[in-house]
Amino acid sequence: MMGKARELGGEHYLRVNIGVTVVTMSLATLFAAVFFRYSNNSGNVGVIYVLAVMLVARFTFGYVPGIIASLIGVVGVNYAFTYPFMKLNFSIEGYPVTFVGMMLVSTLTSALTTRFKQQSALLQEREAMLAEAEKETMRANLLRAVSHDLRTPLSGIIGMADTYLKNEDVLTEKQKSEMVEGISEDANWLLSMVENLLSVTRIRVGDTRVNKTPEPLEEVVAEAMTRLRKRLPDAEVHVRVPDEFLMVPMDAMLIEQVIMNLVENAVYHSGQEEGGIDLFVEKRGNDAEFHIRDYGRGIAPERLAVIFDGGGMENNASGDSHKGMGIGLTICKTIIMAHQGKIQAYNRDRGAEFIFTLPIVEGEADDK
Amino acid sequence: MTNKQSILIIEDEKNIGNYIETIVASNGYRALRAMSGTSGLSMCASHHPDLVLLDLGLPDMDGMEVLQRIRDFSNVPIIVISARTQEKEKVAALDGGADDYITKPFGSEEVLARICTAMRHHAQLDNAALQQTVYSRDGLVIDFDRRLVTLDGQPVHLTQIEYKLVSLLAKNAGRVLSYDSILKEIWGPFTDTDNQILRVNMANIRRKLEVNPAQPHYIFTEIGVGYRMLE
Repeated sequence: MMGKARELGGEHYLRVNIGVTVVTMSLATLFAAVFFRYSNNSGNVGVIYVLAVMLVARFTFGYVPGIIASLIGVVGVNYAFTYPFMKLNFSIEGYPVTFVGMMLVSTLTSALTTRFKQQSALLQEREAMLAEAEKETMRANLLRAVSHDLRTPLSGIIGMADTYLKNEDVLTEKQKSEMVEGISEDANWLLSMVENLLSVTRIRVGDTRVNKTPEPLEEVVAEAMTRLRKRLPDAEVHVRVPDEFLMVPMDAMLIEQVIMNLVENAVYHSGQEEGGIDLFVEKRGNDAEFHIRDYGRGIAPERLAVIFDGGGMENNASGDSHKGMGIGLTICKTIIMAHQGKIQAYNRDRGAEFIFTLPIVEGEADDK
Repeated sequence: MTNKQSILIIEDEKNIGNYIETIVASNGYRALRAMSGTSGLSMCASHHPDLVLLDLGLPDMDGMEVLQRIRDFSNVPIIVISARTQEKEKVAALDGGADDYITKPFGSEEVLARICTAMRHHAQLDNAALQQTVYSRDGLVIDFDRRLVTLDGQPVHLTQIEYKLVSLLAKNAGRVLSYDSILKEIWGPFTDTDNQILRVNMANIRRKLEVNPAQPHYIFTEIGVGYRMLE
């Protein structure tokens, strides 16, 4: 109600203020009249008015309606419910104190209520600002990771190409082919980075939603694997999908990106020497649950909690020769969140397991 | 020398153009280069290339328009070069008369394979005698005359629709067929544009032909675009 009023501007405020005040005070008077008729107790009538003033302050905007309501209350009680009836008289002994007291109590109540309302609005605003700041930090982290991750392979490519061109005559054939291989490797890595970044642009800016269409789960997994094979021809991945034919609403391109990132991650960073990586999907309740399991050294405990928030981009203490995963996992999380799914990393007895879920049935979360 | 098949490369990016030229030239084709849509169109009309490689992102005109203008006067095989995330563009190109597409970035083997496939299909269209009567790859045999499918010697039982689907894909092996073109071919021109029925049928076929549906060997999915069968 408040939000709506704010959109409609000052005129609406005034109308709400007058309306609420008139209705509440009339009701209070009616109630007081009935009450007074049966009990003949003026003190209780005062209490009814104080309550009404508080309600007015709660449901109107600014201090003014509360103060006006307390004036109405005081005059009303004096006029109708105290001797002499149907006449204003503040001069009888004891009356000034009673009415000044009532005036003070109702004004203070109204002021306090109004203030309390303002403070809670302020608090809400501050919370929103904090959330915004958090988003800002995440964006900054991402940007830092991106510029680092982009510059590293680019320096390699430029350096090697330059060396090759300047020293073509003195380089041995073996050195030359090593350099070209290095260039190709770095360029491929750069490509996977850029594809990751581009994928994020498919998520609609602002509301972090994606365009979902129902896709056969097995086709998505299969295409992700085909694309991975191009990049990692030697990787051993055991793939399993449910026998049941499942259509899952998703942006297939994005989910493929997540699968590829996680499998690639397992291949490069698990430190696993032999045996393969498992990629399997299960149906659990109303979710499709994707598992990517490796049998390497696992994830350092201090990184486990922050691994999706850019915690994986620090230089690898374990001396990984391959560059850090950088933005890959952060992007995975962004994509899964935009699908109303969940993503988690776990350490198992041997190695690590990444699990993410996608809702199979379009949930209520989507209708909100 | 003169009977080399010629390939027209319409690509504005110099490095990529050089790269494709090197690939095709070193594999026995004669490469023609055009840096813009306009010059591509005029070269296509004057040189009658045997195949066109068309980049959809050109500086002077929309690649789709170049495609349509070429189709107005020629049925030369056209392979479109497109970026990965543009599924809609790929579908539009296929339905607009392109024979196939390649996704950037691509390797040399991929380009050559697509060129071979497109040229072969084109030759088959011209000459019915070249039409295959049997598709046989890695243990999967489809006999189009006898309407028989066997996998490692064992007969595979397919429904009518499933057989039609498999044989359609097999006759176009190596080419991607868009959902719409498959739907029209199998279910007729008045089917729903919803491709769910197609994808359910494909899932059933996969369970009959593939060892692991998640790692298909014969029929590949290009999500958002269509299906491609092992060349």
